[in-house]
Amino acid sequence: MMLLSLLLIPLVAAAVISLTRRRAWMELLHTGAAIAVLGIGVAVAAEVLNGDILTVAADLLRVDSLSAFMVAMITFLSGVAALYAVGYIRAEFDDAHLPRARLFFSLFHLFIFTMLLAATTDNLGVMWVAIEATTLATVFLVNLRGSRTSLEAAYKYLILSSVGIALAFIGTALVYYAGAAKAGEIAVNWSALSAAAASLNPDVMRLAFVFIVIGYGTKAGLAPMHTWLPDAHSEAPAPISALMSGVLLNIGLYAVLRFKAVVDLNVGSQFSGGLLLGVGLLSLAVAAAFLVRPRNYKRMLAYSSIEHMGIICLGLGFGGYWGTFGALFHIFNHALSKSLLFIVSGNILWKYHSAEINDVRGVLHAAPWTGALFLAGTFALIGLPPFAPFVSEFIIFRAGLVTYPWIVATGVILLIVVFGGVLASVNRMLYGVPPAELPRGDGLRLWLAPLAMNLALLLALGLTFPPPLQAALERVLQVLGV
Amino acid sequence: MSAEILSKLVNLLSFVALGLTILLILRARLEGQVRAFALQSFVLAFLSVLIAIYTDSFQLFGVGVALVIVKVVVIPRVLNRAVAKIGISRVAAPYLGTAPALIVCVLLAIIAFYVMTPIASSNPLPTADAMPLAFAGVLIGFFIMVDRRRAVTQILGFLMLENGIFLLALLMTYGVPFIVEMGVFLDVLVAVLIMEVFVYHIKDNFDSIDVGELGKLKE
Repeated sequence: MMLLSLLLIPLVAAAVISLTRRRAWMELLHTGAAIAVLGIGVAVAAEVLNGDILTVAADLLRVDSLSAFMVAMITFLSGVAALYAVGYIRAEFDDAHLPRARLFFSLFHLFIFTMLLAATTDNLGVMWVAIEATTLATVFLVNLRGSRTSLEAAYKYLILSSVGIALAFIGTALVYYAGAAKAGEIAVNWSALSAAAASLNPDVMRLAFVFIVIGYGTKAGLAPMHTWLPDAHSEAPAPISALMSGVLLNIGLYAVLRFKAVVDLNVGSQFSGGLLLGVGLLSLAVAAAFLVRPRNYKRMLAYSSIEHMGIICLGLGFGGYWGTFGALFHIFNHALSKSLLFIVSGNILWKYHSAEINDVRGVLHAAPWTGALFLAGTFALIGLPPFAPFVSEFIIFRAGLVTYPWIVATGVILLIVVFGGVLASVNRMLYGVPPAELPRGDGLRLWLAPLAMNLALLLALGLTFPPPLQAALERVLQVLGV
Repeated sequence: MSAEILSKLVNLLSFVALGLTILLILRARLEGQVRAFALQSFVLAFLSVLIAIYTDSFQLFGVGVALVIVKVVVIPRVLNRAVAKIGISRVAAPYLGTAPALIVCVLLAIIAFYVMTPIASSNPLPTADAMPLAFAGVLIGFFIMVDRRRAVTQILGFLMLENGIFLLALLMTYGVPFIVEMGVFLDVLVAVLIMEVFVYHIKDNFDSIDVGELGKLKE
């Protein structure tokens, strides 16, 4: 029941909001739904991470600890983004543009629904449908401003993601075939597939995994299928960028993880690990090449997402207990820091009316809260202690040090390049003298308050790792078979 | 119907479907291309019904019916409406000429046979022999998307690719479960409707549907 309401609330909210005419109603429904989803999501995650498994309608919905991990992340970050979105949309679309505000709020919840469905279904076909639906729900959000550049970004995003996800369907169909050839009837869900994994046809599973990595890797923004990402993430409104970078990319990774667990049981982790190390290192390199000297700060954040997806893939590729542990921890840390930064970038854009780094000077003077949050978020993102991403990156590279010293060395060098590039750019933005005609003070200051939670978590997890959390992550690792 | 006859019919119809994908390259007029897509979808629906009769599967029959509704009736209408509205029906504006494009198709077909034949030969279903043909359709659909400058022909390439994947799943496992198949149709339909809106937006903004004009977002 709880699980069903988790999915129904955003779906119903999306439908009802699309019928409203007044801003007050939209905001009320939007905030109410977001808070309700957050509450239920936390409750679902807490119950499952304590050892339960929730199911609805046999194999349609099934929340194990890996799903619960995703549910916790989706609901928490969408809650934070939803609160900020109220203020952001008020500032961006006045009453003359109310239909756009309505479109935003309605699609926002449809987007949340599709992500939650992808994370909670046990059926790999339904998961495919849900992940394709995440693209369809967000494409108009990317084009919300209706400018030429946002139109271009949205069209590219739609076409490339649709093609990517179509290739993932071939992978899914191949896994269906492997399951069907084995059991005589089609084994369509994760539970049945993992049970039968050892006896599936290994050639089919290998080919399937290649399609899965290309297909869902497109959604996860892995190089060389990443070309849509910097455009879409930088053109979308800030709260949506925060969710696309912080959460939606992880849905792509989640799909890869699910398939990896089955493939590893079947052909061993060498095969999937090698593939992920390859795309991981390539993503890191592509991102580093751009991040040496970025010109646009939203694109900088977008490329940094490609970089972090690469790091996570390295962790999964190194594999074993610590590699996978570090990867999962880093998924969470990246989500927290990137959504924080994208939301704050919305504030900077609102203040300076430009996303070019060269146009932004002296944020710390002009808007102290915005600047301080951006600085703290940047420190977390580039892996400075005492923030949690430092710990997870350390765990990942430590895990690969013995077996893959060269990959670790290359990865660390690329990280240092990114470190320097991002820090220098943020430095130019935050310090210096702000333009004389710019009014002082933070815009939307109150709406930034929820970000304190992101920051507190990043700091707390960097300093301590509470035993209940460790136990919860270990349950997730069990699902992944490590 | 015996397995042998089914196998022959499936091979023949898959070949026809592949031929219709290649026809997309030869046809200059958009209306003709939309017709090629509708015809291909009809062939796939016919195949689904054929296999449904062979396997006594009522669900697969339902998939065939839904396919006719979505891909033979609704989507071609949407596309024709878009073609009429934007007012250019000629020139698909490919990057490659017809002859080089056909050579690429042949190469892609060879790759498809190379990748899929080992998997098809271990598959006991009577329909499996045609799997490489379906996969060739996927690759060629992908190539058409890359090769075309016009938004509408890109959409057609995407739809052909989608059809190829449907056929591949149909031949490999008699299709994926009913609920998933319906979800896929819904996604494709919504995707095409969104793409249609984008065609109009691009036309309004750039006074052209040449996606080569979309080049402002660069580093």
